[in-house]
Amino acid sequence: MLTGLLSGLLSGLLTGLLSRLASGLSVGRAGLLFCALWAALWSPAAWAFDLKELGALLGQQRNAEARFTEERFVSGLDQPLRSSGTLSFTAPDRFARQTLEPRAESMLVEGNNVTLKRGGRTRQMTLDAVPEATALLEALRGTLSGDLALLQKSYQTRLLGNATRWRLTLTPLAQRLGTQVKQLEIEGQGPNLKSVEVQLAGGDRSVMTIEPLASTGTPR
Amino acid sequence: VIAPRSPAITAGHRATVLTVWLALLALAAVVIWRTPFVADLSAFLPAKPDARQQVLIEQLQSGVAARTLLIGIDGGDGEKGGEQRAAASRALATALRASGHFEQVQNGGDLGSAEGGFAAVGTWLFDHRYQLSPAVDATRFTAAGLRDGIAETLSLLGTPAGNAIKPLLERDPTGETQRIAEALIPASAPRTENGVWVSRQGQRAVLLANVAAAGADLDGQAAALAAVRKAFAEVAASGLVLRMSGAPVFSVDSRAQIESEVKFLALAGTLLMSTLLWLAFASLPALGVALLPVATGVLAGIAAVGLGFGSVHGVTLGFGSALIGEAVDYAIYYLIQAQRPAQAAGAGVQPGQPAAPGWQHWLRSSWPTVRLGLFTSVCGFVALAFSGFPGLAQLGVFSCAGLIAAALATRFVLPLLMPNGARGQGTRRRLGAVAGAAVAWLPRLRRPLQALGVVAVLALLWRHDTLWQSDLASLSPISAEALALDESLRADLTSSEGGALVVVQGPDVQGTLQRVEATASVLDGLVNRGVLAGYNSVTRWLPSEATQRQRINSLPEAEALRSALAQATAGGPLPASRLAPFLADVQAARQFAPVTQQDLQGTALAPLVEALLLERKDGSWAALLPLQGVTLSTTELRQALERPDNGVMLIDIKPELDRLYSRYLGEAQAQTLLGALGVVVLMALWLRSWRRLLAVCQPLVLAVALTLAGLALLQVQLSILHLVGLLLVVAVGSNYALFFDMLHQPAAEGRAGGGAGDADISRLDTLASLLLANLTTVLSFGLIALSTIPALSAIGRVVAPGALLALLLAAALARPHVSTTGVSRTS
Repeated sequence: MLTGLLSGLLSGLLTGLLSRLASGLSVGRAGLLFCALWAALWSPAAWAFDLKELGALLGQQRNAEARFTEERFVSGLDQPLRSSGTLSFTAPDRFARQTLEPRAESMLVEGNNVTLKRGGRTRQMTLDAVPEATALLEALRGTLSGDLALLQKSYQTRLLGNATRWRLTLTPLAQRLGTQVKQLEIEGQGPNLKSVEVQLAGGDRSVMTIEPLASTGTPR
Repeated sequence: VIAPRSPAITAGHRATVLTVWLALLALAAVVIWRTPFVADLSAFLPAKPDARQQVLIEQLQSGVAARTLLIGIDGGDGEKGGEQRAAASRALATALRASGHFEQVQNGGDLGSAEGGFAAVGTWLFDHRYQLSPAVDATRFTAAGLRDGIAETLSLLGTPAGNAIKPLLERDPTGETQRIAEALIPASAPRTENGVWVSRQGQRAVLLANVAAAGADLDGQAAALAAVRKAFAEVAASGLVLRMSGAPVFSVDSRAQIESEVKFLALAGTLLMSTLLWLAFASLPALGVALLPVATGVLAGIAAVGLGFGSVHGVTLGFGSALIGEAVDYAIYYLIQAQRPAQAAGAGVQPGQPAAPGWQHWLRSSWPTVRLGLFTSVCGFVALAFSGFPGLAQLGVFSCAGLIAAALATRFVLPLLMPNGARGQGTRRRLGAVAGAAVAWLPRLRRPLQALGVVAVLALLWRHDTLWQSDLASLSPISAEALALDESLRADLTSSEGGALVVVQGPDVQGTLQRVEATASVLDGLVNRGVLAGYNSVTRWLPSEATQRQRINSLPEAEALRSALAQATAGGPLPASRLAPFLADVQAARQFAPVTQQDLQGTALAPLVEALLLERKDGSWAALLPLQGVTLSTTELRQALERPDNGVMLIDIKPELDRLYSRYLGEAQAQTLLGALGVVVLMALWLRSWRRLLAVCQPLVLAVALTLAGLALLQVQLSILHLVGLLLVVAVGSNYALFFDMLHQPAAEGRAGGGAGDADISRLDTLASLLLANLTTVLSFGLIALSTIPALSAIGRVVAPGALLALLLAAALARPHVSTTGVSRTS
């Protein structure tokens, strides 16, 4: 009981005030997390034309790795922002994104825990404290596992093209996520995911091109 | 106490004694009237903690923890339940913020809105970013430093996080706001659904509220709780259930519970005793007189505690009602045993006549034994009075003072009121007959009982390491259900396991803050190594003035900054031409004075600072740095953090409290043993015979062993309070054993007034009084055994069966009634 009073109440209070404070600031943890998870979405796994079919295929895949290059188009900046690095996924719930250029950064999601490393600093946080991030995670899990129901809980899905060349469009259903992300567009060739484009609510957008390592066997 | 030799009670003597007695009672009443009654948890915290424990205890008593309320909203129907709970959470939070009873109400909702003053805090932090950001140093505004800072900020643009950063880009291109915000991200936060905090499974909405009233202001806390219930009843949809926990709930509830229970116990105890006394004496005057020593004892006990401790804890009062059962024994012994010669002498002797008053007979034959019983009881309770727990010390002082006063009242006042004891018979003859028959029969069980006792002792020795409870919870007056709710709400709100706390102490605010900064940099290293998930520190929004000055001094002049910025942005995506607001802000910041504690007063940050930076009673300061997700061992952490002279202490809360408990358990065990030893020594001095001492101690040892074994059989783990109960069993049981010892002495001895024929009547009367006294003890402790206050019921559950066993065993193991023995009483 006494333990509770101290450790629980005190840290509970701090947690509450701090998370409120952090979110009260215009630069929120939601944003940081978003960045992290949304990056994790570009998991290397191949996306098939039929989500269920693809799900069955991907269900056997326990690990995957890929390289990515990303271009972000931000209004008010003279040039697009470029970055590159690696992505990895380990079933069932571990995602990592390592940005190597232009600055070393990393993001790791394990279960409900998120670890961010930027500029030599490490931060840990809770995933489900930010429902938008959870929605992105569920989209990822839903897609990778071919769980259409899970995917459709948070997004309106639209699949165009054919099995050799396809495009999946995800539009957030939840209003909160919708205020941040307008649309996700995922393009693939056969089982390979080729690019992911994210259109943000403010008009900025990013395009990430993915080269699977594990599935192509390309040495790195 | 020296018995007067003069047989006569003169009118003057009578008036003097009664006047002194009544005056003392009045004095006690005045003391009691001026003594505050408390029911908080402090009585269950040690009075002499070490340095680490002191910090914990200060927090529990007056820290923010004492004012923090956890609120849960359960229920709602099926699919729509989540939205119903979220709506209720929002409405409740709004109502509570408006109520004025709370400093802060948080439910995770409407983040970033103006509610609760956090938007203002955001603006304030932004304005003071150049003295608060840990990134600001001499290299930050060189061309290289600027390039690095800008690149880091740009790396977030084009992501959802970038949406939040973009509006600030021109004023804060190096991302100092980000750096401050980043440090404030909690390593673990409640889950959020429908815009409000919920439990990890989403089935409960959770809120956190800080009561504005001080932790010790229970009326204020109670008003705040009432405000929550009222607001909830108004705003919540039907089917939703309010759950509350936290120190305010515990304090307010336990006060109410203790108040009502003390009243109930006092009333029920008095009624029960009165019934028993009525059965025994069938006389109203006798009943009234028998209750006088009890009333005297209770008044004296409370007054003594009030004088000694400045306040009386509710549990002490509850315990006082059990003491009735013990104090009434003196009156029973007196009323029965003072009466015999008067009857035996025939109708010619009038009550109160100085010829051969019964009280003189009692004074000679029984009082020495009663007095010895008093001494042994007091001996046991004195040990308690030195306990490190104020709650137990209060029980000890209360009992000592109460028993002594009750005995004195019996000795000096009762002879004045009923010089020949009680005349009423009631069912006492039958009681005596039953007791006589039982005493005649019980010795047949001697061997089996001894064998049982040996088995019990062996079983206890075999299981000795699992007998004792190892945590403080057993002392708390909070029920298991309330604790379970508290634990589940806390898990919902924090998801953090265990609790480790770094405490940094310093002579003054600035010295303490500087030490905190040094400690925080060590902790940052641990976070980067991945062995610590995170920590909180007051220096994130209140750095030491030295650090702030250093940061402000590192801001360059306008020209220098302009040229460095031109260099840093050349060829990059963010042109320097857009950053004029940045140049202006840096120049403005160069004129800022360091932020002080006073500047934060009245802002939404004040409670945070108050929670993490405390002024100690001695005027020194302590900062708390709660740790999250520690994977290092306590020893490794200590090695990393603590230096002989840096004022840093690591407190691992759970083990620390357990250590504290085991220390006090050990202390209490030693005290109990000393108390029991004292009882034995007293009896040895009195009996002056090893054989008689052994005979008297045997039933006590067996009673304790059998009680312990019984508790062990029922899977009850023993706490300090059970130990107190055992001491009481010894103290009370010794009275029984001594009486049996007395009964088995040669009839002529010590009974000059009685003829041979009287011996049997005397014996039966003594047996009846013993049985009656035992019944009152068993019943009154049985009553508190039923109490819902764990501290009381633990004592009751040991003493009630233990006292009964002590009497039965004393009877069963008593030596056969022999009329020739070489042992004689010499006192």
